[in-house]
Amino acid sequence: MKIFQVERTLVSTNRIAEMEHKPLLVVREREGGTPMVAIDPVGCKPGDWVVCVGSSAARDATGVKGFPSDLTIVGIIDHWEG
Amino acid sequence: MNIHQVKQPLVMTRRLEGMGSMPLKVLVGIKGEVTVAMDPVNARLGDWVFTIANSAARTAAGDAKLLTDLTVAGVIDDWRPDNTETANPNT
Repeated sequence: MKIFQVERTLVSTNRIAEMEHKPLLVVREREGGTPMVAIDPVGCKPGDWVVCVGSSAARDATGVKGFPSDLTIVGIIDHWEG
Repeated sequence: MNIHQVKQPLVMTRRLEGMGSMPLKVLVGIKGEVTVAMDPVNARLGDWVFTIANSAARTAAGDAKLLTDLTVAGVIDDWRPDNTETANPNT
Protein backbone atom coordinates (compact mmCIF):
# COMPACT_ATOMS: atom_id res chain seq x y z
CA MET A 1 0.00 0.00 0.00
CA LYS A 2 1.04 3.60 -0.47
CA ILE A 3 0.35 6.92 1.22
CA PHE A 4 -1.36 9.63 -0.86
CA GLN A 5 -2.81 13.08 -0.23
CA VAL A 6 -6.31 13.80 -1.55
CA GLU A 7 -6.36 16.76 -3.96
CA ARG A 8 -9.91 17.05 -5.26
CA THR A 9 -12.93 15.21 -6.65
CA LEU A 10 -12.70 13.96 -10.24
CA VAL A 11 -15.84 14.34 -12.41
CA SER A 12 -16.26 12.01 -15.39
CA THR A 13 -19.74 11.96 -16.90
CA ASN A 14 -18.79 9.85 -19.91
CA ARG A 15 -17.50 6.69 -18.22
CA ILE A 16 -18.03 2.94 -18.36
CA ALA A 17 -21.20 1.59 -16.76
CA GLU A 18 -19.28 -0.94 -14.67
CA MET A 19 -17.97 1.96 -12.52
CA GLU A 20 -21.53 2.68 -11.30
CA HIS A 21 -21.55 5.88 -9.19
CA LYS A 22 -18.54 5.33 -6.97
CA PRO A 23 -16.86 8.67 -6.07
CA LEU A 24 -13.46 9.30 -7.68
CA LEU A 25 -10.71 11.43 -6.11
CA VAL A 26 -7.49 12.87 -7.57
CA VAL A 27 -4.62 11.86 -5.25
CA ARG A 28 -0.88 12.58 -5.24
CA GLU A 29 1.98 10.85 -3.36
CA ARG A 30 3.51 14.27 -2.62
CA GLU A 31 3.25 17.88 -3.75
CA GLY A 32 3.91 17.99 -7.48
CA GLY A 33 3.85 14.19 -7.73
CA THR A 34 2.03 12.42 -10.56
CA PRO A 35 -1.75 12.79 -10.07
CA MET A 36 -3.62 9.48 -9.94
CA VAL A 37 -7.29 8.59 -9.58
CA ALA A 38 -8.61 6.48 -6.68
CA ILE A 39 -12.05 5.13 -5.75
CA ASP A 40 -13.18 6.55 -2.39
CA PRO A 41 -15.41 4.24 -0.30
CA VAL A 42 -14.31 6.02 2.92
CA GLY A 43 -15.49 9.58 2.30
CA CYS A 44 -12.44 11.83 2.35
CA LYS A 45 -12.08 15.59 1.92
CA PRO A 46 -9.32 17.44 0.06
CA GLY A 47 -6.11 17.61 2.06
CA ASP A 48 -6.61 14.30 3.86
CA TRP A 49 -3.64 11.93 3.99
CA VAL A 50 -4.91 8.44 3.08
CA VAL A 51 -3.64 4.90 2.42
CA CYS A 52 -4.48 3.35 -0.98
CA VAL A 53 -4.36 -0.31 -1.99
CA GLY A 54 -3.60 -1.44 -5.55
CA SER A 55 -3.79 -4.42 -7.90
CA SER A 56 -6.45 -7.05 -7.28
CA ALA A 57 -7.15 -6.04 -3.66
CA ALA A 58 -8.30 -2.65 -4.94
CA ARG A 59 -11.22 -4.36 -6.65
CA ASP A 60 -12.77 -5.87 -3.52
CA ALA A 61 -11.87 -2.85 -1.35
CA THR A 62 -14.58 -0.86 -3.16
CA GLY A 63 -17.25 -3.00 -1.50
CA VAL A 64 -18.36 -4.56 -4.78
CA LYS A 65 -16.65 -7.89 -5.50
CA GLY A 66 -14.63 -7.70 -8.73
CA PHE A 67 -15.24 -3.95 -9.23
CA PRO A 68 -13.00 -2.53 -11.99
CA SER A 69 -10.51 -0.52 -9.92
CA ASP A 70 -6.73 -0.70 -9.56
CA LEU A 71 -6.42 1.96 -6.81
CA THR A 72 -8.82 2.27 -3.87
CA ILE A 73 -8.62 4.32 -0.65
CA VAL A 74 -8.76 2.07 2.43
CA GLY A 75 -8.43 4.61 5.23
CA ILE A 76 -7.59 8.12 6.43
CA ILE A 77 -4.38 8.52 8.44
CA ASP A 78 -4.88 10.29 11.79
CA HIS A 79 -1.53 12.10 11.91
CA TRP A 80 0.81 12.44 8.94
CA GLU A 81 2.90 15.31 7.69
CA GLY A 82 3.91 14.75 4.02
CA MET B 1 -6.07 4.69 -12.02
CA ASN B 2 -3.72 6.74 -14.16
CA ILE B 3 -4.45 9.80 -16.25
CA HIS B 4 -3.56 9.97 -19.95
CA GLN B 5 -4.26 12.05 -23.04
CA VAL B 6 -5.61 10.26 -26.15
CA LYS B 7 -3.01 10.60 -28.92
CA GLN B 8 -4.46 8.64 -31.84
CA PRO B 9 -6.60 5.60 -32.74
CA LEU B 10 -4.66 2.38 -33.38
CA VAL B 11 -5.65 0.19 -36.33
CA MET B 12 -4.61 -3.46 -35.91
CA THR B 13 -6.50 -5.68 -38.32
CA ARG B 14 -4.43 -8.80 -37.75
CA ARG B 15 -5.03 -9.42 -34.04
CA LEU B 16 -5.67 -12.36 -31.79
CA GLU B 17 -9.22 -13.65 -31.39
CA GLY B 18 -9.11 -12.75 -27.69
CA MET B 19 -8.60 -9.05 -28.53
CA GLY B 20 -12.23 -8.83 -29.64
CA SER B 21 -13.27 -5.91 -31.83
CA MET B 22 -13.10 -3.00 -29.36
CA PRO B 23 -11.27 0.10 -30.65
CA LEU B 24 -7.70 0.61 -29.45
CA LYS B 25 -6.28 4.03 -28.59
CA VAL B 26 -2.68 5.20 -28.23
CA LEU B 27 -2.40 7.15 -24.96
CA VAL B 28 0.33 9.49 -23.70
CA GLY B 29 0.76 9.62 -19.93
CA ILE B 30 1.54 12.69 -17.86
CA LYS B 31 5.21 11.75 -17.83
CA GLY B 32 5.10 11.14 -21.59
CA GLU B 33 5.02 7.35 -21.52
CA VAL B 34 3.15 5.91 -24.55
CA THR B 35 0.69 3.05 -23.94
CA VAL B 36 -2.16 1.32 -25.79
CA ALA B 37 -5.56 0.79 -24.20
CA MET B 38 -8.93 -0.65 -25.12
CA ASP B 39 -11.51 2.11 -25.34
CA PRO B 40 -15.15 1.24 -24.53
CA VAL B 41 -16.16 4.90 -24.13
CA ASN B 42 -14.93 6.13 -27.56
CA ALA B 43 -12.81 9.01 -26.30
CA ARG B 44 -11.88 11.59 -28.93
CA LEU B 45 -8.34 12.68 -29.85
CA GLY B 46 -6.89 15.05 -27.29
CA ASP B 47 -9.35 14.02 -24.56
CA TRP B 48 -7.92 13.54 -21.07
CA VAL B 49 -9.03 10.11 -19.81
CA PHE B 50 -8.37 7.90 -16.78
CA THR B 51 -7.53 4.23 -17.26
CA ILE B 52 -7.73 1.00 -15.24
CA ALA B 53 -4.79 -1.43 -15.30
CA ASN B 54 -4.04 -5.01 -14.23
CA SER B 55 -6.76 -7.63 -13.91
CA ALA B 56 -9.51 -5.02 -13.40
CA ALA B 57 -8.89 -3.81 -16.97
CA ARG B 58 -10.51 -6.97 -18.34
CA THR B 59 -13.70 -6.42 -16.30
CA ALA B 60 -13.70 -2.76 -17.29
CA ALA B 61 -13.62 -3.78 -20.95
CA GLY B 62 -16.92 -5.56 -20.37
CA ASP B 63 -15.78 -9.18 -20.77
CA ALA B 64 -13.22 -10.95 -18.58
CA LYS B 65 -12.06 -13.02 -21.56
CA LEU B 66 -10.75 -9.93 -23.41
CA LEU B 67 -6.97 -9.78 -23.58
CA THR B 68 -6.21 -6.35 -22.12
CA ASP B 69 -4.21 -4.99 -19.22
CA LEU B 70 -5.24 -1.35 -19.73
CA THR B 71 -8.74 -0.02 -20.43
CA VAL B 72 -10.05 3.54 -20.72
CA ALA B 73 -12.55 3.94 -17.86
CA GLY B 74 -13.85 7.41 -18.64
CA VAL B 75 -13.26 10.84 -20.11
CA ILE B 76 -12.40 13.49 -17.51
CA ASP B 77 -14.84 16.43 -17.80
CA ASP B 78 -12.31 19.14 -17.07
CA TRP B 79 -8.63 18.47 -16.66
CA ARG B 80 -5.95 21.17 -16.61
CA PRO B 81 -2.47 19.61 -16.72
CA ASP B 82 -0.17 21.24 -14.10
CA ASN B 83 2.82 22.18 -16.19
CA THR B 84 2.72 20.14 -19.38
CA GLU B 85 2.74 22.16 -22.56
CA THR B 86 0.31 19.73 -24.29
CA ALA B 87 -2.75 21.56 -23.01
CA ASN B 88 -6.16 20.12 -23.91
CA PRO B 89 -6.80 21.56 -27.42
CA ASN B 90 -10.56 21.85 -26.99
CA THR B 91 -10.60 23.88 -23.79
